Amino acid sequence: MIRLENVTKRYSSEVVALDDVSFEVPKGEFVFLVGPSGSGKSTLLRLINRQERPEEGSVWVAGRDIVDMPNNRIPQLRRNIGNIFQDYKLLLNKTVFENIAFALEVIGQPQHVISQQVPAVIDLVGLSGKEDRFPHQLSGGEQQRVSIARAFVNRPLILVADEPTGNLDPSTGEGIMRLLDRINGTGTTVVMATHDRRIVDAMRRRVVQLDRGVIVRDQERGVYQ
Amino acid sequence: MSRLRYMFRETGESIRRNPTLSVASVITAAVSLLIFGLTLIIQHGFDNLLSQWEGGVEMIVYVNSGAGEEQRVVIEDALGQQQGVTIESWSYCDVACSLSDADRLFAGDPVTRSQLTELNIPTQYKVVPLDATQVDILRGLRDRYLELPNVYSVQLAEEQLDLISKLQGFVSTYTTGLWIALMVAASLLIWNTIRTAMFARRREIEVMKLVGATDWFIRLPFMLEGLLQGVTGGAVASVAMWFINGRWTAGVEAFPANSGMTALVVVDGYEWRVGLIVVLFGALIGTIGSGTAASKFLDV
Repeated sequence: MIRLENVTKRYSSEVVALDDVSFEVPKGEFVFLVGPSGSGKSTLLRLINRQERPEEGSVWVAGRDIVDMPNNRIPQLRRNIGNIFQDYKLLLNKTVFENIAFALEVIGQPQHVISQQVPAVIDLVGLSGKEDRFPHQLSGGEQQRVSIARAFVNRPLILVADEPTGNLDPSTGEGIMRLLDRINGTGTTVVMATHDRRIVDAMRRRVVQLDRGVIVRDQERGVYQ
Repeated sequence: MSRLRYMFRETGESIRRNPTLSVASVITAAVSLLIFGLTLIIQHGFDNLLSQWEGGVEMIVYVNSGAGEEQRVVIEDALGQQQGVTIESWSYCDVACSLSDADRLFAGDPVTRSQLTELNIPTQYKVVPLDATQVDILRGLRDRYLELPNVYSVQLAEEQLDLISKLQGFVSTYTTGLWIALMVAASLLIWNTIRTAMFARRREIEVMKLVGATDWFIRLPFMLEGLLQGVTGGAVASVAMWFINGRWTAGVEAFPANSGMTALVVVDGYEWRVGLIVVLFGALIGTIGSGTAASKFLDV
């Protein structure tokens, strides 16, 4: 589903975010990216959804090399990748329903699809009854659930999560992880960058550890260390 | 259909969020387009004023109404004697042609125009000299033709043309410079309004891009906003222009018939065409301003 081949990403001649990184994520896998701040986790996620381009190497997503993909085809790529952020990136002037519907609306989905898929995904993330609330009326965990619902409503092939539990207390974080696990159970590939040792150790999924832009460990059913 | 609904809703939302800048853009666009429209109207008024002198005509010999073909032969003989000497060519403007000229010359003075009929309007010989700069020769010819029978009057272009041409050049130069400068200002203001609107909505744009909205889908509501501002400015300018033109035309009616200004009006429907051109120009500056901003600031 995702393949990086000898990828090097530099922000300047001194700052090398990723250095000759190669790894592969098969369809339906759940992968944790771990490592200290500045190790290249977020850069790697940004390469997957073509927010960044590497200086060297190739990045394959869903069977296509996206490094030289023309700009007009990037929206199509991104419709197959759901993004979850530590700060949720919700639109504060829109309700829960509108935030989730927005993701379908802007890719031109018709109203009948929106009115069918949005309630279903709200139910999936456990926010039924809160459709009309605004982000400031929700807890952090609930806001992250909205963010996950928005990322998943289009049923993408891949979910990319950058520290989704970073702003949450441990028990709320566990709830979010159970939700991501459930989504992964539907066959969606999940790549998640995290610093949360407790979650990684509890989930026992594949762990890819980065340090100063280099993969130093790639372990099946791994722990944080 | 849902895309269209989305586009109009987002455009309305954007205008509601930033009404002050939107109003400023519309006013600037309206002022610049008004000056643009008035420049075209003034130019057309001057063209009407000078229409009888088109084609290098420097002298007009007016013939008494009712002068028959035999009586005109005397005048034509006199003109023919000078052809190739001082006169390059001449043409006869009959009753229908003279009435048509009067329509333009007295457009702002319907009372005088109504008194001119097929029976009393002087016909004209329009004379193109070999050398228009030889004013003394033309004056000599005028004096000679005035003595011919059935000649009502003789008018030289230099008596009227130089002053009007200078005035037209002066007005055109400055109003054209002004409307170009103001239109650039209006376009830049629309550009800035769209930039501000995009900055205010940068979070939404970021989300839109991440969920796979195309650049055009993101741009279009902003471009529509700029287009609406330009078209609204154009519509306001058109209404103001028609009002000013109407007031001027009504004012010219009070001028004396021999003021020479009675043709300096536009009442032939040209003002409607200019109104449409002004709205189209509004659409153009709105689209250029917003289109460039929406493309440049998409990566907010």
